[in-house]
Amino acid sequence: MLLAVLISNSVGNILVERFNGVPAEERLHWRSFLVKLGADNLKHAKNEELFVASHKSVYIVYTVLGDICLYVVGKDEYDELALAEAIFVITGSIKDICKKPPTERTFLDKYGKICLTLDEIVWKGILENTDKERIKRLVRLKPPTEF
Amino acid sequence: MADSSGTTLMDLITADPGPASSASGSTANATPSSASASAAASQLPSVPMTTTSSSSLGKTILGEKKSKRATLMQIQNETISAAKAALQPMKTNIMPQKQKKKPVSYSQLARSIHELAATSDQKSSQKQLVHHVFPKLAVYNSVDPSLAPSLLMLNQQCEDRTVLRYVYYYLARILSDNGAQGLSTGGGIPTPNWDALADIDAVGGVTRADVVPRIIEQLSAEASNVDTEFHARRLQALKALTYAPSSNSDILARLYEIVFGILDKVADTPQKRKKGVFGTKGGDKESIIRSNLQYGALSALRRLPLDPGNPVFLHRAVQGVSFADPIAVRHALEIISELAMKDPYAVAMALGKVVVPGGALQDVLHLHDVLARVALARLCHTVSRARALDERPDIKSQFNSLLYQLLLDPSERVCFEAVLCILGKYDSTERTEERAAGWYRLTREMLKLPENDSKSSKDKSQKTRRPQPLIKLVMRRLESSFRSFSRPVLHAAARVVQEMGKSRAAAFSVGLTDIDEGVSINEFADDDFIENPYADGARKASSMSGSTGSKETIASLLASLMEVVRTTVACECVYVRAMVIKALIWMQLPYESFDELESIITSELSDPAWPAALLNDILLTLHARFKATPDMAVTLLEIARIFATKVPGKIDADVLQLLWKTCLVGAGPNGKHTALEAVTIVLDLPPPQPGSPSGVTPVDRVSASDPKSALALQKLVQAAVWFLGENANYAASEYAWESATPPGTALMMLDADKMVAAASSRNPTLAGALTRLQRCAFSGSWEVRIVAAQALTTMAIRSGEPYRLQIYEFLNALAQGGVQSQLSEMHLSNGEDQGASGTGLGVLISPMIKVLDEMYRAQDELIKDIRNHDNTNKEWTDDELKKLYETNEKLLDIVSLFCYVPRAKYLPLGPISAKLIDVYRTKHNITASTGLSDPAVIATGISDLVYESKPAPAESDGLDDDLVNAWAANLGDDGLMGKSAPAMSRVNEFLAGMGTDAPDVDEENIVSRPSVGYDDMWAKTLLESSELEEEDARSSGSSSPDSIGSVETSISSHFGGMNYPSLFSSKPTSYGTSQTSERSGGNRYGSSSSIYEGASSPIREEPPSYASSVMQRHDSFENPMAAPESSSFESEDESRRNTSGNPQFGSALYDFTAGGDDELSLTSGEEVEIEYEVDGWFYVKKKRPGRDGKMAGLVPVLYVKPR
Repeated sequence: MLLAVLISNSVGNILVERFNGVPAEERLHWRSFLVKLGADNLKHAKNEELFVASHKSVYIVYTVLGDICLYVVGKDEYDELALAEAIFVITGSIKDICKKPPTERTFLDKYGKICLTLDEIVWKGILENTDKERIKRLVRLKPPTEF
Repeated sequence: MADSSGTTLMDLITADPGPASSASGSTANATPSSASASAAASQLPSVPMTTTSSSSLGKTILGEKKSKRATLMQIQNETISAAKAALQPMKTNIMPQKQKKKPVSYSQLARSIHELAATSDQKSSQKQLVHHVFPKLAVYNSVDPSLAPSLLMLNQQCEDRTVLRYVYYYLARILSDNGAQGLSTGGGIPTPNWDALADIDAVGGVTRADVVPRIIEQLSAEASNVDTEFHARRLQALKALTYAPSSNSDILARLYEIVFGILDKVADTPQKRKKGVFGTKGGDKESIIRSNLQYGALSALRRLPLDPGNPVFLHRAVQGVSFADPIAVRHALEIISELAMKDPYAVAMALGKVVVPGGALQDVLHLHDVLARVALARLCHTVSRARALDERPDIKSQFNSLLYQLLLDPSERVCFEAVLCILGKYDSTERTEERAAGWYRLTREMLKLPENDSKSSKDKSQKTRRPQPLIKLVMRRLESSFRSFSRPVLHAAARVVQEMGKSRAAAFSVGLTDIDEGVSINEFADDDFIENPYADGARKASSMSGSTGSKETIASLLASLMEVVRTTVACECVYVRAMVIKALIWMQLPYESFDELESIITSELSDPAWPAALLNDILLTLHARFKATPDMAVTLLEIARIFATKVPGKIDADVLQLLWKTCLVGAGPNGKHTALEAVTIVLDLPPPQPGSPSGVTPVDRVSASDPKSALALQKLVQAAVWFLGENANYAASEYAWESATPPGTALMMLDADKMVAAASSRNPTLAGALTRLQRCAFSGSWEVRIVAAQALTTMAIRSGEPYRLQIYEFLNALAQGGVQSQLSEMHLSNGEDQGASGTGLGVLISPMIKVLDEMYRAQDELIKDIRNHDNTNKEWTDDELKKLYETNEKLLDIVSLFCYVPRAKYLPLGPISAKLIDVYRTKHNITASTGLSDPAVIATGISDLVYESKPAPAESDGLDDDLVNAWAANLGDDGLMGKSAPAMSRVNEFLAGMGTDAPDVDEENIVSRPSVGYDDMWAKTLLESSELEEEDARSSGSSSPDSIGSVETSISSHFGGMNYPSLFSSKPTSYGTSQTSERSGGNRYGSSSSIYEGASSPIREEPPSYASSVMQRHDSFENPMAAPESSSFESEDESRRNTSGNPQFGSALYDFTAGGDDELSLTSGEEVEIEYEVDGWFYVKKKRPGRDGKMAGLVPVLYVKPR
């Protein structure tokens, strides 16, 4: 299960969060845990440099992209490597939408589209589409494979 | 972007106030910041417009609800204006004043949607929706159900794809929004709980329950629409439908119907997937639409609950493997692999055709979808290991060979999954046999590519046509992964190595003989690991592979892998390092030298970056490692020792103690001494501060620089001392009831030096433990000393001579404080009085000494009697025997108060009495083993320890799980610490591989965690109070060494706070009900002394009765030196009386300003009602609230004069 996708700005304000199968009372903890991880490690990180963490049997992969930080949390089949895959798709799509590594402004400008994109990438806690073109088509309500 | 750092989600909705103002005339009037109530009023006309248009579409429900909705809108707007008002200050903080933009409120957005929905055919409305309204709505964490009608209308009327896409998105969110308090998966700015809001409205509002059926209705209709032009929307409708709560069986049944309906149409068409068709353009329109629908249906199916008994379900999933859409294939495989867990036979049969070479499953190997191949690996593993398929080895081998081929996969994720599957790691259920078999497979089997593989594919597998041993493939792959720069890859690779270690350990523990069959052992003399029987034994005959020559062995492969693993410890990410260390711990074998591991861990622990949670995780790994290989006990203890001494503040003392205990049991007869040494070393080592010189008094030294870690170390030392006292006899195999030395001989060796010499020569383990405890009894902090004295008593009672006498002497000295200077001159240097004068520990020790006194006196008596009888050649009369027996029983009773002894065997009167007591017993038919039914005995659980006749847990091949668990459970029971039960559960949880709950971030930040157990909270409050008291004790102890106040508080913190096993608490309920205060200790004494007095002669002669010792103690409590603030028990009593009885009043003597939230400011002369007292504070109530508005709170005792 892909437990969470969380996007925050550089000072730890949360911009987007999608939890799947995380009890409501634990979300706050995850949120602060992730933001703290980011604050500790992402200061001088390069764009899209992947970081990894774990808590019990849960894996966390996070990275920085322009002004925003991305965190994905997963367990079972979504281990570090699968999460790396997922975060790769997400960063790629965000870059496409914002044309380049986003500033916070551009990210917020494209907020709606990003939400839709995320909706196509992670569907009920399961990674769905990984192909960028396909995601773009689906966001525009086109069929996944065009004829 | 100068102020970008301050922007938040609110900023987004602030970005452009346009939509509301430009949307329509009515909203243009309502400026965003104006009072929402008036805005709502002006809005009302527009609402019916929306509803009429929707009812004109044949949905009449809303028309009837017109008035209700109007009311609802009003309430909603009011709520939201309140919410907006709350958000307002935040906004002004974020946005500089110069910006005039105001955030768009939720109600405005909602309004805009209603309006724009009505005019959705206009381009401008569509633009508004897409660019302003919908993106802003996404910021909120839930969607108001009352928007649904408008959304549905848009869904039906609007043509714009982007608008429609948003509509599906929001409809899905309304469907999924089932969290309480409006908490959904969405996150974002909190919104009200719409349903609750609607319920408050007496007339009735729009709740989810109202709209969900309509949404489902409409979406289902769309999802069943067969129009080919419509099929993209069809997929989205289907997707949105899957968000409906699966608890509703009606909806579920409907969804199944739709999904299978689609599959009925599109799945059966026979199609052979062509190479390169995956996800690429091309092909005819019909087949592409079909494949899109296949994808949509399978994706939806994946989100629905499994239906294992349903053949159609399985059938469709199996068909899915041949679909053209890669994601559909992935979902199909995932569904199948989950089904295979439940019914492997059915799955294997259903897959019959696709698994053959050239079949669809083989094609998946080349599918460009990592997760699909991962699912394939899992599927292959499940089927090839299924018991149900034992009769079909052909099928199993097909899947097996597929699994082995996945080892060549270009993606690490897939390759590692295959390795884990081969190793027998599939889910969190760990089965040793499966693991062992996994190691066997990995080391012995070969990858043979199928014959016709070369025909059907032209990938790199052709280059490696020659059969390859799995182990080599895996090792090579892992080594290259360790050279990766990507942290996730490193982390994953280390994890795979860890799993390898687990399987290897499992292979070890099930015994190698059946694995090694037919392999010559001493063939390779150049094997580095020649001393390692396993590496020899399980070494595969790699010469079979031909290409690599016969030099390569598993051992050498492993050695080179481990070399790479060790270098990975240089990674800057602690999580990777932690995983590497875990891997190293697992790959460590009992016979290998662990110097390298030790030095790695030592240097790692010096790094302050390690979070505590991670260190505890490693500690738990040690636990797991021990469970797998009990032989490792000593090694693991050594590692644990490093943790204990390097980072006492970060690790969980309870888990550590559990590890000590389990290791001690598992260490075997020869390892026990070493195991105990490993524990005692904690007592000797200097504190972890870098640069601090090796101090003689570690605890005090640390406290100067870092109170927190000092406290932790102190707790650890206490735990170690207790552990030592409780287990030294076990470790030393020295028991009074098995000792052959008659008591008389010991009495003759009263010369202390000789005694010590004799003792240490006879049993160095026990003597060593004694020495350490003696040192602790002198030099530690108060808590440590008290525990040490108790530990010594326990040992005195359990050990035979000369140890008992030695301890007896020592305790006497301790009580009088006379010999302190002799024995601890080295500790005097720190300038602090050790406090072991008669007034200190004496109070506590005197009962202990008395027990020993009793025993010795009775022994003397007995010897005298025996001599008398011998001299006069008299038979023992029944009365004499009875008296003897009663004395024996009495002493047993007393001794049992202090620690557990086996009543049947224990002879307080010495071995010499055994015969006489036996005579009496046989005469009167008394069974000797009554003692075992003593509840205290069962509760303490020490019995396991003392009875070595129990199945020896030390056997290397079979550490009895039950025993260890019983042990661990006992640890919780014997009152060692309030928190050890959680420690146990933590260990169990870890061993079971569970644990996905949220991490704790910062102890300071987390005030109360809802998931915390009651025990934890209890323990925490106790701990905190003891910390306070402890500081109190320390300060007063140093300023006035003779102050009883300090003794008292430390005692109370000791008994009450730490909940340590005290002398008194070994019998939990029989004496007094409360164990949390010293007072109850006194009570227990009283009752035990009454037993005492009810008994016969020799005790009566004893001058100071127990009752008087209690009296002494109460005297000491009234010591004037003790400050009134210190928690004296009198005042506690008093306060208790207060709470139970009539209230007490008082007046404030001075002004007092509250220093914290729970404190109360006072003006002198103010009248207050005293509720209760706690730790030098009164909890008082005022008659009327003070200037700060508070009525009640804590004030210092001295500030209030009770009347």
